[in-house]
Amino acid sequence: MHHPRSRRVLIAAFAASMLVATACTSGTPNTSASPSAAASATETPQDGGRIISGSISDIATMQPILVNDTASGEVAGLLYAVLISADPKTGEPKPNLATFSASSDGLTYTFEIDPKANWSDGKPIIGQDYLTGVLAVGKSAKTVRKSSFTTIQGFQDWVDGKADTISGIKIDSSNPKKFTVTLTKVTCPALLQIANNSYTLPTQVFGKYVTKASKPEDIDNAPENVNPQVVSGPFTFSEWRKGDQVILKKNPNYFKGAPHVDEYVFKVVANTAAITAGLKTGEITYSTIAARDLADMQTVDTVKIQKYSSLGYTFIGWDTQSNAAGAALSDKRVRQALAYGIDMDAVIKSVVFGEAIAHVAHHVPVQWAYPSDQSALNPYKFDKNKAQQLLTDAGWTKGSDGILQKDGKKFTMTISTNSGNTERETLAQVAADQYKQLGIDAKAAPEAFQGLVTKLTSGDKTLDATIIGWSLGTEPDPYQIWHSSQIPDPAKNVTGFGFTYFKSADMDKAIEEARTPSNGDCSTAARKKQYDTFNKILNDEQPYNFGYVPNVLATAQKSLQGWNPQPFSTLYNVEQWWIKK
Amino acid sequence: MRTFILRRLIYAIPTLIGVSIITFAIIRLSPGDPIRLYTFGARDITQEDIEALRHVYGLDKPLPLQYLDWIWRVLHGDFGQSFIYHQDAAQLFIQYIPNTIQLALVALAIQLVVGVPLGVVAALKRGTWVDNVVRVFGVAGHAIPSFWLGLVMIIVFAVQLRWLPSQGILTVGADQWDILDRIKHMLMPAVVLSLTGIAQYSRILRTETLDVLGQDFVRTAHAKGLRERTVIFVHALRNALIPVVTALGGILAGLIGGALVIEQVFSWPGIGRFTFAAAIAKDYPIIEAGTMISATLLIISYLLRDIAYAIVDPRIKAA
Amino acid sequence: MATTTQAMRAAAQDTLTRPSRSLWSNALWKLRHDRLTIAAFLVLMLLALISAGADFFAANIFHYTFERQDLLHTYEKPQFANLAFLLGSDEIGRSQVVRLLYGGRVSLAVGFVAALVNLTVGVSIGLAAGYLRGRVDDLFTWFVTTLNSIPTLFLLLIFAAIWQPGPATLTVVIGLLFWTGISLFVRGQTFALREREFVIAAKTIGARDRRIMFRHILPNILPLIFVLAAIDVGGIILAESALSFLGLGILPPTPSWGNMLTGATQYFVRAPWLVYPPGAMIFLTVLCLYLIGDGLRDALDPRVRGNAG
Repeated sequence: MHHPRSRRVLIAAFAASMLVATACTSGTPNTSASPSAAASATETPQDGGRIISGSISDIATMQPILVNDTASGEVAGLLYAVLISADPKTGEPKPNLATFSASSDGLTYTFEIDPKANWSDGKPIIGQDYLTGVLAVGKSAKTVRKSSFTTIQGFQDWVDGKADTISGIKIDSSNPKKFTVTLTKVTCPALLQIANNSYTLPTQVFGKYVTKASKPEDIDNAPENVNPQVVSGPFTFSEWRKGDQVILKKNPNYFKGAPHVDEYVFKVVANTAAITAGLKTGEITYSTIAARDLADMQTVDTVKIQKYSSLGYTFIGWDTQSNAAGAALSDKRVRQALAYGIDMDAVIKSVVFGEAIAHVAHHVPVQWAYPSDQSALNPYKFDKNKAQQLLTDAGWTKGSDGILQKDGKKFTMTISTNSGNTERETLAQVAADQYKQLGIDAKAAPEAFQGLVTKLTSGDKTLDATIIGWSLGTEPDPYQIWHSSQIPDPAKNVTGFGFTYFKSADMDKAIEEARTPSNGDCSTAARKKQYDTFNKILNDEQPYNFGYVPNVLATAQKSLQGWNPQPFSTLYNVEQWWIKK
Repeated sequence: MRTFILRRLIYAIPTLIGVSIITFAIIRLSPGDPIRLYTFGARDITQEDIEALRHVYGLDKPLPLQYLDWIWRVLHGDFGQSFIYHQDAAQLFIQYIPNTIQLALVALAIQLVVGVPLGVVAALKRGTWVDNVVRVFGVAGHAIPSFWLGLVMIIVFAVQLRWLPSQGILTVGADQWDILDRIKHMLMPAVVLSLTGIAQYSRILRTETLDVLGQDFVRTAHAKGLRERTVIFVHALRNALIPVVTALGGILAGLIGGALVIEQVFSWPGIGRFTFAAAIAKDYPIIEAGTMISATLLIISYLLRDIAYAIVDPRIKAA
Repeated sequence: MATTTQAMRAAAQDTLTRPSRSLWSNALWKLRHDRLTIAAFLVLMLLALISAGADFFAANIFHYTFERQDLLHTYEKPQFANLAFLLGSDEIGRSQVVRLLYGGRVSLAVGFVAALVNLTVGVSIGLAAGYLRGRVDDLFTWFVTTLNSIPTLFLLLIFAAIWQPGPATLTVVIGLLFWTGISLFVRGQTFALREREFVIAAKTIGARDRRIMFRHILPNILPLIFVLAAIDVGGIILAESALSFLGLGILPPTPSWGNMLTGATQYFVRAPWLVYPPGAMIFLTVLCLYLIGDGLRDALDPRVRGNAG
């Protein structure tokens, strides 16, 4: 049942520059305009009421530096405001709690926190609070975000206990709200990494846990992590009824203005079907629904649906070093044949009810890194003959049993996916079915997510093909997925997400140039050029069948005004949401 | 009686040691790596980070050492910090116990209130259609897959008739003490959970009542002119008490195990759903705390059962 | 479900401990008059037959394999027009009726094989503990008490969730978890029997322990073991279906009655007809097994005469 669906997806799904391997995801391109947002602008918002958001898993913590799952990310994001946010439509960095500017050499960022910004206890939010947040990340033994801050000067010395503070973070002596962060080297993702990936923490609360003498468990086990009383976001914490709901109240001191609603409840339900049911009855104010429920939901006249392309894609990853079928998958022609040989449009129709678009390279349409010249990419339109031809060219011919053979070996292939995810299990079975028609002895094999993950990242080459999904971050840097240094190699003690074992020197170069440009040019235009090259190589080499980019089907009660979810954020304007009575 | 209880408590020690070994072995020998699971998708994670986390969670030591380390801490009441929640595992687990106990107690009450009269009536109406219905139910109650019955009830009562909520423990916004709301949420899961128990009690009571009906004292009582119903109820219930108490232990175990499945279906925030989610996520400390605490609860309830047993059956007291 | 052991124990308690040579013939005579048990037995045979003949039915009547998908015909309502969709089609247009047949095969196979494992384990251990007594029995008591202190289904679910075993391992593990009730029963019987004249006689003529256990004691308990076995298989099928339903037992594309319901919570609004048949099949199968167990027990119980009741 859903249980496995209710299984928490323990992956970093945080605000901005995080990559997320989703155990369940939904999403695709085309942002449709929101009629509701336009309408609400003309009306006077009414105060009061309650927003109930539905989730299939409970939160784990409310300490931003420890957050490692989508549910906790949502609640932590409502409690603590980020310095720099991502533009909800484009994903580009935007001032939020602070304004920012970069020095000409790109090594120093200056931030100035909004003069109106105060903690919920009335104290001003200052540069010291940013420092407290970074100190906490350095102290914590359990956080998974340390590496985002390693480029800050002096961060490593603090982690190693060699320094009393972080030398790269300097607070202006005349204006406590102004501070600078100095990096050791220029990297393009740095701004989002240091200012969007974590939150400022109230020094009056957490300061005592991050002194030089503090132990890691002081911050990791701080009681305020599960009972935060001093916050900076639009809502304050009221109660966490474990396994059931988290109740938040409006923060009258929020620097962008107090929210219209009185309460925001994060409600845990069993599965996506329960979310659908809750939206129908009005028990849930807004959520996203599964494609299979769309037709049904469209008949409900109390809700509105807003579709947008998701920031992620579902794919079939080929293990190019798999021994299956005599290393068939190491041959580019075979991988291309596998792209031509699957009717992705039909697959989309059946698996996600048409709510997705076929995808042929890494970056997705909502990202600025998405290649604007799509004609440069091969769309791999369904063409069985071409697939057959490519397979023949690669030396695979059908035997008497109708199964492709080469040098006496049969083309057999197992398509694995995480069990419990109905969409992916269906996709695996449909794909296996289609590949069978090409003469490949393909079969679907659902497997527990935990087992799959261990195999994928530990260099165990027992999976021929794996269906999972990536939720991409605000920052389009694909280093962790596609750079050759990220190919797991137990012999060299290397782990990473390069589980296709595919590498290309040209691709590495493009990724590096867009990440740490030799000329220091981090402009979108310059980086995009590199990403065009990168996407073209992937498109040609097909280490993944890039599958599809699903649509997010955001659904809300018609009474919810101001709600206008965008690919990069849903809650960016939550303080302006109101309930029409 | 005191020595009896004391002896039983001492016996519980090797049992708990056994439970701890089984639990630990099942959990720690399992394939898949929790740290890799947690860090999958985390940006810029390196092999060193993974090793460091493994060290923090004590997963880098040899297994026997991990066991001794763990058991030493458990003896001090420390089950370790949850991998996911970063909080004390036992404390977290305990927070979910009241929800499960509520459900189990209501189910137990339904079992007794429905099961006992059903059995007595069946015996009194022996051979009639009433008896046959009860007898078939006595088997069917065991045979029905509870999760499926739960699904069917949700379709009928929540989706089609819209009489009852299908999910959770309270309506959002309802007060913690809104008893009516709580009952509404509890009704379906409690009924489903109580089925096997109803079946079992009705069988026991039917057999016992039949036995009583055949005994001399009933005839004597008749002769003395006592009212038949009074006689039967008093004697049958007294005789049935021992098997009912005996059955209690198994029924409690059934309630805990059954709750695990039922809590999934009805999204009930109890220990079953919590432990299950922890198991899927390989949150070792929670699963360990969950199993140990459930086992302890069960051992205590067995002990209570045996004490009750000793009270109702004088032969045991003498022994 | 978790009360299987309990049910078995109850069954054991309800039965007299005195076996006799004429037990079988007596029982068979009584069974002939127990229409409910006979009906249950016939229904079970029928279920086993159609499951065993799944290949034949799929090929000759429904003309549809269990893996075949038809993406143009998903969520078809039950119909006579196309026999393959007699019970409707699922989310990827597979035939519900064909999958039901194959699912029965899987569920029954798991049930019987696991029961065989746990009977073997349970009977051997129970015999050894009851006959050898002393240290062996102490160890036995400790181990059984320990296992019984963790609710069986709870343990099984936890195990399945963190190990995620394949079907073969799962079957064996279920077998290895559900034996305590049987062995407790066998041990009790053995305790009583080892003091009986025929055992003592065998001992005096120098028969070895193993021979006495398996040749003299076992045959005397065997009939009652059949009672436990029937109930046991039922309990295992229930446990397997719950596991598969939770996505931990038999995984798709292999159909089992339990995993056919896994997606149910997702689509029951859209296709409620997919929810009823698999559950009904589980219910029917387990009901038959329990009725057979009950009938056998009554038949073997000398206290009950003629029409059980």
